[in-house]
Amino acid sequence: MTAVIEAHGLTKSYGATRALDGVTFSVEPGRIVGLIGPNGAGKTTALKAILGLTPFSGELRVLGRDPRTERDALMREVCFIADVAVLPRWMRVTQALDFVAGVHPRFDRAIAEDFLKKTDIRMSSRVRELSKGMVTQLHLALVLAIDARLLVLDEPTLGLDLLYRRNFYDTLLNDYFDKERTILLTTHQVEEVENLFTDVIFINHGRVALCAAVEDLSSRYQQLTLATEQAAHARELQPFYEREIFGRVAMYFEGRTAAELGAFGELRTPSIADLFVAKMQGTGSR
Amino acid sequence: MSSTLADTAREPRSDATPAATRSRGEVLLTLVRRELWEHRALWIAPLCVAGLLALGTALGRVHIDLDDAERLGSSPYALLTIVQFVLAIPLYAVALCVGSYYLLDCLYAERKDRSILFWKSLPVSDGLTVGAKLLVGLVILPFGVFALALVAQPVYTAILETRVAVGRLPGILNWSAGEWLRTEAVMFLVTLFGVLWWAPIAAYLMLVSAWVRRAPILWATLPFVLGPLLEWVAFGTRYLLGFINYRVNGIWDILGVEHANIVTKHGLHPVGTALEVLDFRGALTAIDLWLGLAATAALVYAAIRIRRYRDDT
Repeated sequence: MTAVIEAHGLTKSYGATRALDGVTFSVEPGRIVGLIGPNGAGKTTALKAILGLTPFSGELRVLGRDPRTERDALMREVCFIADVAVLPRWMRVTQALDFVAGVHPRFDRAIAEDFLKKTDIRMSSRVRELSKGMVTQLHLALVLAIDARLLVLDEPTLGLDLLYRRNFYDTLLNDYFDKERTILLTTHQVEEVENLFTDVIFINHGRVALCAAVEDLSSRYQQLTLATEQAAHARELQPFYEREIFGRVAMYFEGRTAAELGAFGELRTPSIADLFVAKMQGTGSR
Repeated sequence: MSSTLADTAREPRSDATPAATRSRGEVLLTLVRRELWEHRALWIAPLCVAGLLALGTALGRVHIDLDDAERLGSSPYALLTIVQFVLAIPLYAVALCVGSYYLLDCLYAERKDRSILFWKSLPVSDGLTVGAKLLVGLVILPFGVFALALVAQPVYTAILETRVAVGRLPGILNWSAGEWLRTEAVMFLVTLFGVLWWAPIAAYLMLVSAWVRRAPILWATLPFVLGPLLEWVAFGTRYLLGFINYRVNGIWDILGVEHANIVTKHGLHPVGTALEVLDFRGALTAIDLWLGLAATAALVYAAIRIRRYRDDT
């Protein structure tokens, strides 16, 4: 199956700072990929490269196209919601629908209108009159109505309350996602959406720290919780990160088997949030 | 479970089959509409001025000296065309103000309010976006104002004629469709050559708008103030000032406006007489006009290239 995104050696510098430092990964169709990293890790730069919004060096194909030279054609099949509401504040809801209908060949106005009917958004309202949650709903309505193959979301629910956040992701799953569509999502609220991801890419200091399918994590990573007095023996198996929890120690291992670790304590697959913290702060990080 | 999401995902929608393409004309029309939605001053300001002018012709005092009245005798239709011409000037003046501000703001505002990320999430090229903005500032606004004047002037004339009919004004405006049309032809050609001559200034304003990170008005005007000043301080010469003056006012010399004697001490002449006097053919073949248009193309290309990798930062 052809990859939706194939990145090889992506590099981008801002002055002396390397925002992307040889980033390599690929994304298959029909996946929901979490691009996760701390502030300043290079997530947004990577997304901007994918969207053709910033120059970079290295190889990148998105839906088989080079975003540097084929951006206009690419954007017919890619949708994008930025980290905060960026819909123009002067625009009316009807104008937003008119505009997207006028420029996007894959926009189905009826879908957007049906979605908006289920919300409190009035068609005559200006964007500046809507709450932040409503603006995100409006943007989502526009995006749902576009028959795109790749949806890029950069912190789309930042600043929204829990209800709007939950509705946003439920709508994405129920009304948008299908086997031919791919969603690439960055978020700080990893715990809230980690059950959504089929794949994760951890990025730190402009480098990929982990790129894996969620279903493979259980065979690759183990979290061992054990008594403090057992820790010295377990440490010999070289955990890449450990932390204390209520007088016990949690250790994180890569590539160890249950047979090797099971005798020391309680073994489980770490959550994505725990794995992220372990990877960012563990020995593998810089 | 997350790992089964991809497996349980719905089959792709097959019923939604929106139109496969949008023609460039369709997209351009939408882009132009969007400019008029956002920058409402572009059409509201000229309409307000046109309304005020109508009010002025209805209620304003008209003072004509006996001496002037005698001079009117040189052409029975002269005053009609002069009133027609003079009443259009405020419309063009306001269009010049809102148009200049628009060109300086149009590529800057979208970065300032971060909406550029929304515009760039849609399949519209930078060339088409910048082209639509230039089209609005350089074609739709000036010729829109010309059309507004075309419609407004018969209204003003009718108001003045009504005042004459009720005996409040002396009957000195003689209607002539031919002279009225000839005046419109002069105004159309002057508008056309004004647009062609000032196109590089419009493109320069757009380039500044695309380029600067803040204070576009300051950056747009600074070179025109500092450049001549530095030249004068350093070399004691004023070539730059002369060049700027030429790029602003040169079209009047090229057209030979000083020969179009509409108001002289011997009498008033219809504005339409300028059609025989003004050198439109000479202006069209003037090398400086075409050099200006080449500079316009270069500046617009630069604005498109700059917008290519501009984002909200």
